[in-house]
Amino acid sequence: MSEFLSFATTYLPYLLQGALVTIEIAVIGIIFGSILGLLVGLGRISKNPLLSQISRFYIWVIRGTPLLLQLFVIHFAIPSVFSALTLPPFVSACIALSINAAAYIAEIARGAIQSIDKGQMEAARSLGLSSSQAMRRVIIPQAFRRMLPPLGNEFIALIKESSLVSTIALYDLLRTGQQIISSTYRYMEVFLLVGLIYLLLTTIMSFIVGKIERKVGAYE
Amino acid sequence: MITCKDVVKTFGKLEVLKGIDLDVAPGEVVVIIGPSGSGKSTFLRCMNHLEAADSGTITINGKLVETKESSLNKLRQDIGMVFQQFNLFPHMTVMENIIEAPVLLKKMTKDQAKKKGLELLKKVGLEEKANEYPNRLSGGQKQRVAIARALAMEPKIMLFDEPTSALDPELVGEVLTVMKQLAKEGMTMVVVTHEMGFAKEVADRVIFMDGGYIIEQGSPKMIFETPQHERTKEFLGHLK
Ligand SMILES: Nc1ncnc2c1ncn2[C@@H]1O[C@H](COP(=O)(O)OP(=O)(O)OP(=O)(O)O)[C@@H](O)[C@H]1O
Ligand SMILES: [Mg+2]
Repeated sequence: MSEFLSFATTYLPYLLQGALVTIEIAVIGIIFGSILGLLVGLGRISKNPLLSQISRFYIWVIRGTPLLLQLFVIHFAIPSVFSALTLPPFVSACIALSINAAAYIAEIARGAIQSIDKGQMEAARSLGLSSSQAMRRVIIPQAFRRMLPPLGNEFIALIKESSLVSTIALYDLLRTGQQIISSTYRYMEVFLLVGLIYLLLTTIMSFIVGKIERKVGAYE
Repeated sequence: MITCKDVVKTFGKLEVLKGIDLDVAPGEVVVIIGPSGSGKSTFLRCMNHLEAADSGTITINGKLVETKESSLNKLRQDIGMVFQQFNLFPHMTVMENIIEAPVLLKKMTKDQAKKKGLELLKKVGLEEKANEYPNRLSGGQKQRVAIARALAMEPKIMLFDEPTSALDPELVGEVLTVMKQLAKEGMTMVVVTHEMGFAKEVADRVIFMDGGYIIEQGSPKMIFETPQHERTKEFLGHLK
């Protein structure tokens, strides 16, 4: 045990550095994925047929193909054709995670918006609000509350799936662990530590989402 | 004040309004009665374009109710609507519900709107509920807030679609009291309701609709005491 502890204290700083990269790409993925996801979700329910078809296509493609493949397309395939689009692994990782999360978040947003009673829109419109004012002030705030639980799941999935970026030579938490193993051969200890750190990150994420849920759900 | 000419509305194959004419004078209180499915709600909702009529024209204060967004939004500010299901915004407090539209659309400051809101809440007897969320209110209280919310835009016309039908019987009175008060103050009102007592007491004119037509209209006395049409008699007979 004390042997494990001394191993842990030696390598924990490296792992935490990897964890920081994981946190960075996850947070960026969550932020841009949410913004893009909300837009795609709104596009999906838009009355404009072009917008709704584009959104539908986006969701279909992204949800129907593996994240790992999307990552490879962005990081390897596209630059192989357009060398100007060669990106550092960190940037490719952020883009892939955002694009991927957006497709799932779009469906979450669409479901939540459509679940709001249509009387809400009618009441807002009957007061003279435009449809975009009604969306912004009445529908989306309520939909946001309903999105939170599935959104929390999506964010947790994103943290875990971000480990796929280790395949494009980005030193996130998992890849840093593998690197330590390659010089120490201490599989058990390293993966135990890596697992504990992922668990800590996802637990913190659940906690934050739960807290927001209670805060914005005060009216219920 | 409201002029409807030959209003027709269909949902798919179902013709719900089959050519309705109606004129409402300023300050008049018109009550619409009729069996379920006769098109009362649809007609009311055409007046503020929550439903688009297929043909015919509706003018409010001389302005045509049309599909164009900008003029529609302007026009709706003059037409308050109260729904059977209240449709309060659950994520806003009572006061926030009331000031939302005036602050957004009338360029009022929050303070001005709140002052006005408090007056309106006093009027409907709910000033102590200003900071409650709707889910903490009874049905009758919700509906009174909904009325105050509509009044906050200082509409010239109020439309009511069965405002008391979702309420427990003991809560109906408090809402009708507010509506009677409003009628007394000279508000132009079109009310769809099954509350015949209210119609008798407050209406200037009662309209009986059935099957997408106005079958008969007249003073409450005429409609309730000497109805001319079989269907009106039958409908009123059922109520007793
Ligand atoms: N959005 C809609 N789509 C399809 N049919 C509809 C729609 N709204 C109403 N209808 C139909 O139109 C007819 C008239 O409905 P409406 O709600 O106007 O009746 P009503 O007189 O208000 O009845 P009630 O007393 O039950 O409220 C009904 O047969 C109803 O099913
Ligand atoms: Mg109705």
